Amino acid sequence: MESITTYLYRTRTLARSAAQRWLALLAAVLVLCGCEGAFDIHPYDVNIKGPKGINATNTAIIERRCLGKDTLRIAVISDTHGWYSDTRDEIASLNQQQGIDFVIHSGDLTDTGTAKEFEWIHKIMYGLNYPYLALIGNHDFLGTGNQSYEVIYGEMNFSIIAGRVKIICINTNATEYDYMAAVPNLDYIESEATARSDDFDRTIVVMHAPPYSDQFNNNVAKAFRYYLNLLPNLMFCVYGHNHITVDDDLYGDGLMFHGVGSSNKRKYRIFTITPTGYEAEIIEF
Amino acid sequence: MKQKSLNSSWMFQPAQWLRTWPLTLLLFVLATTAVAEQIDSIYTQEVKESRYDMRVHRYRKHWAALIPTQYVIQNAGNMGFLSAGIGWDYGCRRQWETDLLFGIIPRHQATRAKLTMTVKENYIPWSFNMKRGFSLEPLTASIYLNTVYGHEFWNTQPSRYPDSYYDFMSTKFRLNAALGQRFTWQIPQEKRRGLARSITVFYELSSCDLYIRSMIVDHYVKLRDILGLSLGIKLQNL
Repeated sequence: MESITTYLYRTRTLARSAAQRWLALLAAVLVLCGCEGAFDIHPYDVNIKGPKGINATNTAIIERRCLGKDTLRIAVISDTHGWYSDTRDEIASLNQQQGIDFVIHSGDLTDTGTAKEFEWIHKIMYGLNYPYLALIGNHDFLGTGNQSYEVIYGEMNFSIIAGRVKIICINTNATEYDYMAAVPNLDYIESEATARSDDFDRTIVVMHAPPYSDQFNNNVAKAFRYYLNLLPNLMFCVYGHNHITVDDDLYGDGLMFHGVGSSNKRKYRIFTITPTGYEAEIIEF
Repeated sequence: MKQKSLNSSWMFQPAQWLRTWPLTLLLFVLATTAVAEQIDSIYTQEVKESRYDMRVHRYRKHWAALIPTQYVIQNAGNMGFLSAGIGWDYGCRRQWETDLLFGIIPRHQATRAKLTMTVKENYIPWSFNMKRGFSLEPLTASIYLNTVYGHEFWNTQPSRYPDSYYDFMSTKFRLNAALGQRFTWQIPQEKRRGLARSITVFYELSSCDLYIRSMIVDHYVKLRDILGLSLGIKLQNL
């Protein structure tokens, strides 16, 4: 209390003239403008200060690191929503795993699509010892969430070649577009079947909402399956959205769809891809 | 000579005034008649307002209550980069305020800039007078509803979603709460320019429903993560 009084007295004596007082005010305003992060413009303001284009940056890192590798270990987590403590434990568990090449988050990074939530989840994901990629989930579309996602992560449909395996990540959140957009984009699947065809032999597809779920455009569920046939040696598909860890043969034709649970269910998956096949592990933490 | 004539004047001889009694009486009578005449005049009847007059007064009073008593401009606070608007104060100590603000969210990296509207209710329980017309309001408590305009935002979930899909929220409306402090300067009469009677500078620490929900759902989110600072100026014109 005494120190505050002394301080106030000192500032009063220091800022005696009017000019000095104005200078002090100006300095205070400048200091406040300096800590711009202190001002919240709006939850749905898209003004990303942190890293941008994470998927493109990490794709380059992953492709370089996995070049020539014949065995890959890919961890997939999903639906972190606002469960930050669970996600932190998940990241800690992943960091203790041996030989993981990279991590894929298969959507619903946030619960309400605000820029702050994207910032918070990235802060946690940044603690990973491995590079990560993230798909967009239906919750990430809320408000201007989709615009924030595009700034922070990049394109909603993207692919990566790790070793000689192509991983195609497809936006399947059709309900968010009222089924009026090319979601899932079948043309994109078709183009990915041949793009950089010299660099890969096998394919994996990752999506947020699986076929026949409430987000999928089920009018094209069979067309989607038909287009997947174009992909060279498609091994399996991975999805999130349903918050349960389950293995489905969704079309009854032998193509496996591996569901990855939400972070609050405290399970994630590691896919080990060997030259002859793959193994889908479920890790509890 | 002059002095004498003055002394002989009737005005300075009170005894002579009595001689003028008929004139005094006449004046007195005339005065009473004048009063009697006033009782019957239309002017005295207007002391009691007619129902029409009362209605007009009420009408004027109620419309006059809509005249804003203050202008407010403030930044951030989850209302946009900058918000400005009008406000009304009321209560026996003018301790309540209602502000109507319009704000702008710049485009930044979004597809377009956005307009927001806010209805803000402030409660200012104390005001301490200081020297030279300055006063300090050590606490302001506010609650405000903000709406953002644009096709991206909805009040209740659109029909394309299954029932109770995003029932927990509206992307269009945000309920905010704020606590702050104020410093007011009553402008002396001779220094007043324009409309301002007093100038108030204030700051607020605020947060919105979505952020508070995030903090409740997971304690990883701390209070300092969800609090935002807002600075503002209020010009009191009435």
